[in-house]
Amino acid sequence: MKMDLAADLQPAPAHASVEVFQQIGTITRLLHDTMTQLGVMPKLQVATDGLPDARSRLHYIAEKTAQAANKVLTSVEQAKTDHAAITAATQAMARDIVADPVKAVASGAVYNFVREIETRTSTIDAHLTDIMMAQDFHDLTGQVVAKVVALANELEDSLVKLLVQVVPEDQREKVDPNTLHGPVVNPEGRTDVVANQGEVDDLLASLGF
Amino acid sequence: MNSTDLKFLVVDDFSTMRRIVRGLLKEMGCNNVEEAEDGAVALATLKAGKFDFVVSDINMPNMNGFDLLKAIKAEDSLKHLPVLMVTAEARKEDILLAAQSGAAGYIVKPFTKATLEEKVQKILQKLAAVA
Repeated sequence: MKMDLAADLQPAPAHASVEVFQQIGTITRLLHDTMTQLGVMPKLQVATDGLPDARSRLHYIAEKTAQAANKVLTSVEQAKTDHAAITAATQAMARDIVADPVKAVASGAVYNFVREIETRTSTIDAHLTDIMMAQDFHDLTGQVVAKVVALANELEDSLVKLLVQVVPEDQREKVDPNTLHGPVVNPEGRTDVVANQGEVDDLLASLGF
Repeated sequence: MNSTDLKFLVVDDFSTMRRIVRGLLKEMGCNNVEEAEDGAVALATLKAGKFDFVVSDINMPNMNGFDLLKAIKAEDSLKHLPVLMVTAEARKEDILLAAQSGAAGYIVKPFTKATLEEKVQKILQKLAAVA
């Protein structure tokens, strides 16, 4: 949208300071009354109040995605270590069987190999589950993104309505009205939200659920 | 009641979350899982098929999880279904509303595999005790 309208507006003509002061006061009163009549003031207040919240929401998104990426990379590195161990054990087992299959079985080497494979594959499976669970950031950040976008739209909508009303008649065509067109990020200090699953369970248990 | 025999419906507007819950249920031995992307689709799916358990998000378009829960409890053929809410909503009033509306359990995101498993088993044990 044309938010550079402010730069395009004609500057107020130079007057004596008292006259300028009176004009500013008159315009401010007109602005206030217009915004209140439009119902814009409450919405604008909510939108501007939400700006610090938008910053913390964006910070939350950045943190969540970084955590997810690190979780995945850690799980991949650990899984690769287990995979490398399986490869080495398989190759060693193959050599033993080729060299002396009877001894390989009788000495317990085959059994030990099978047990190690069981253990390693179980660990790798756990890493894969961790990688899958790390994708939960998409759900959480997606909801937060939706809320920030809604806030930005609200703010833009309110400001454009305001500009349409206060812009001088001969400059209104510069504002195109057709251009008008969503998890708890900071639980600290809040008593109306729970911080973890334990608090959910305690709340429900205290009320007999 | 053996969870591996049950038919689950996972309801969430984020496909990644549906995949995660489906994957976790599969690890619990529950392979009979269908998905719905919002409450309205979920309700239609439930009415059309025979399900045993619902795992639902709250914040969804078209019909949110609360409205789905109320619709399930208002429907004679569906009101017996256990509904486990899995949601990012952490406000106490939402938790209480879910409980008062008949939710069988409530999990806040992010959650662990162990938490989901524990809640599903707990709900099934309760149902088995009542049956």
